[in-house]
Amino acid sequence: MTDGVKSVVPPTSATTDDTARSGVLGSRWLLWGGSIVALALLVWWILTQMTATAFLAQILNGLSFGAVLFFLASGFTLIFGLMRITNLAHGGFYLVGGYIGISVVRATGNFFLAMLVSAILIMLLGLVTERVLLRPIRGLEKPEVLLTIGLTFILGDMSLAIWGGDPTPIPKPDFLNGALNMGGFIYPRYRLFVIACAVVIGAILFWVEKKTRWGAMVRAGVDDRETVAALGINIKAVFTGAFMFGAFLAGFAGVIGGAFLTLLPGQDFEVLLFALAVVIIGGLGSLKGAALGVVIVGLIDSFGKALIPELSFFTLFAPMAIILVLRPRGLLGRE
Amino acid sequence: MLRSISLTGRVKLGFAVVGIALGIAAPYIFDRFVIGLITLALVGGLFAQSIDLLGGYAGLITLGHAGVSGTAAYGVGYMAAKAGAGFPAQIAVGFLAGMVAALIFGVMAMRSGGVYFIMVTLAQGMIVWGLSIRLFRITGAENGLTGIPRPPGVELYWQYYYLTFAVVVLCWGMLGIVVNSPFGTSLKGLRESETRMRMLGYNTTGQKLYVFLISGFFATVSGILLVYLNGFISPSTVILAASAIGVLQAILGGIGTLVGPMIGAFIIVFVQNVVSIYVARWPTLMGALFVVVVLFARRGLVGAISDGWNRWLNRNQAPGINEPVLTSTNQPSGP
Repeated sequence: MTDGVKSVVPPTSATTDDTARSGVLGSRWLLWGGSIVALALLVWWILTQMTATAFLAQILNGLSFGAVLFFLASGFTLIFGLMRITNLAHGGFYLVGGYIGISVVRATGNFFLAMLVSAILIMLLGLVTERVLLRPIRGLEKPEVLLTIGLTFILGDMSLAIWGGDPTPIPKPDFLNGALNMGGFIYPRYRLFVIACAVVIGAILFWVEKKTRWGAMVRAGVDDRETVAALGINIKAVFTGAFMFGAFLAGFAGVIGGAFLTLLPGQDFEVLLFALAVVIIGGLGSLKGAALGVVIVGLIDSFGKALIPELSFFTLFAPMAIILVLRPRGLLGRE
Repeated sequence: MLRSISLTGRVKLGFAVVGIALGIAAPYIFDRFVIGLITLALVGGLFAQSIDLLGGYAGLITLGHAGVSGTAAYGVGYMAAKAGAGFPAQIAVGFLAGMVAALIFGVMAMRSGGVYFIMVTLAQGMIVWGLSIRLFRITGAENGLTGIPRPPGVELYWQYYYLTFAVVVLCWGMLGIVVNSPFGTSLKGLRESETRMRMLGYNTTGQKLYVFLISGFFATVSGILLVYLNGFISPSTVILAASAIGVLQAILGGIGTLVGPMIGAFIIVFVQNVVSIYVARWPTLMGALFVVVVLFARRGLVGAISDGWNRWLNRNQAPGINEPVLTSTNQPSGP
C-alpha cells in the first residue's frame, strides 16, 4: 500500500483483516503450536528416511547454500526496501561475479583477491546500472523491473560468449580443500567456511543497520524517503550507495558460491529464483526476513534434493504458495 | 451504416478487413518457409495478447506465462508421445493441464500486485521449467518430447496455417469482447489504482483471479497450437526467456492494445530469423531491445502511431490526454 493511502484509511480497517484471520484459525498460539507439531512430525519422518549423520550433513548443506543466498537476498532486499527497485539483474551480477572470480584465480592463484576484485567490479557495474540505465526511469516500478530482466539476458549471453558454456568450478584455496573431522562427523571444510562467512557478514550487517549512522539513514529511507530527503540527507547518494553495496554482495556471492555450486549458463536465473523464493517467504525489505528466508529455503532445497530429487525446485513451490495465500507479505514482511 | 462509425473506427475496420484478406491470401503469395514463420508469429502473437490482457489491461505484468502455455503443451505432448492417446484426448488433457496451472498460479498470485506479482509469476514459470528438466518420465527432460503428429486434416503446412489463422482470429474477437466489456473496463481501474477499486466495492482479489484464468485460457490455446506446429516440446519452450519475449512483444507493439502484441510478435519472429543468420548472439540483442524499448518506447509502435493519429485528428484542438500505460507511478507497490 502506498504511503498516501495509509493516512486515508482509518486504522480500524487495517486491523479487521487480522482479527478476521485469527478468528478463523483460532488463537495465534494454536497456529504456532500447530506449526511446531507439524515441523516435529516432518523431522521425525525425515529421520526415518536417513541416518542421523546424513541428517546433520543435509542440514549443513542447506545452511551453506542458504549462506550464499543470504549474500544475494540481503542486497536484493536492501535495494528493494530503499528504492522500491526489484533488481532482477541480481542473478546476472552473481554469475558475472563468479566468472570474473575464475579469471582472477586463474591469473593470480589468489582466491581472496578474486573475491575482492569481483565484488568491486560488480559494484561498479551496479553503479553504471543505477546511474545510466535506471536513473531515467526512476519511480516507474514496472519498467525498472523489465529493464533489469533485459540486462540479465545481456549479462548471461555475454558471459557465455566470454567464458564459454562448460560448467566451471572456481579453484578453492588449499587450506579450505578437503574435509574436517569433527569427532567422527566428517564434513567439507569449504562449506563450513561459507556458513561462517555468512554468520560474520550477517552480524556486521545487523550491527551496521542498528547502530551506525549509515544504518539509521537506510532505516529512515526505508520508512519514509521524502522526510529523509527533507532532513537534508542526500537520498540519491544513499540510493546509489545501497545499489552499489547490493551489487558488491552479489559479486562476492558469485565467487564464494561459484567455488562449490559450479558456474554454468542459466545459473543466473536459478539463483534469482532462489533469491525470490527467499524474499517471498521471508518478507521483502527486511534483513531479518532475508535471514529467516535463506535458512528455510536452504533447508527445503537440501532435504528436497536428498529425499525427492525429481521434484527439487518444486519443493519450493508448496511453501511459497502457502505463504503467498496466508501472508502475501512474507513471514517477516512489513505490514 | 459506415457513416455511424467514427473515422478512427472506420480506419480500424479497414485494417481488419485488409488483415483478414491478406491472411487468407498469404499461402498463395509466400513460400513454405515464410508461411511457417507467419504461423509461428500468429501463435506467438496470441500468447503475447494473453500476456497483454494481464499486463496492459489489468496492470499485472507476468514473467511466467510460458509456464501456463508450456504446461498445456506438455499435456498434449505427454498424451501423444508417452501415452499414445488419440487427438481428442491429447487436446483435452493439454487444455485441462493449462487451465489447472492457470488456476493454481492465479490463486497464488491473486493477493499480490505490482512488482510482487512479477516476482511471484517469475518464480512460478521457473518452477515449471525446473519440473520440465527433472521430471524425466513425463517430460523427457532436456530432450523433450518428440514425434507429436498433427491432427488429420491439418497435417500440411498450409492447412495448419489456416487452422492457426482461424483460431487466432476467433481468439482475437473473444479478447475484444472481454476488454470492451464492463469487466474489461474494471480491469483498467485495477491497473490505475487497486486501492481505489477496492474502496469502490470491487473484489479486486477475485478480479485478478478471473483475469488470470481468462488470460490463461488464451495462453493455453497458444501452447496447444505451438506444440502441434513444432511437433515437439522441450524445456526451452518454458524457459524464462520464452515468457520474457512475450512481454517484449507486447510492449514493443504497444501494450494495452490487442493489435500491438500481434505486431510485436511479427517483428520479433522475423527479426530473430533474419538476425540469427548473421549473428549468434540473439539473447544479447533481445536483452538490448528490452532495455531500449523500456527506456525510450514504453508505449510501443501502436502507441506512437495512435498518438500521431490523434494529434492529426485534433490538429486544431487542444492536445488530448494520453492513456498512462506502464508510466503511472501511483501504483501500490505491495500486495
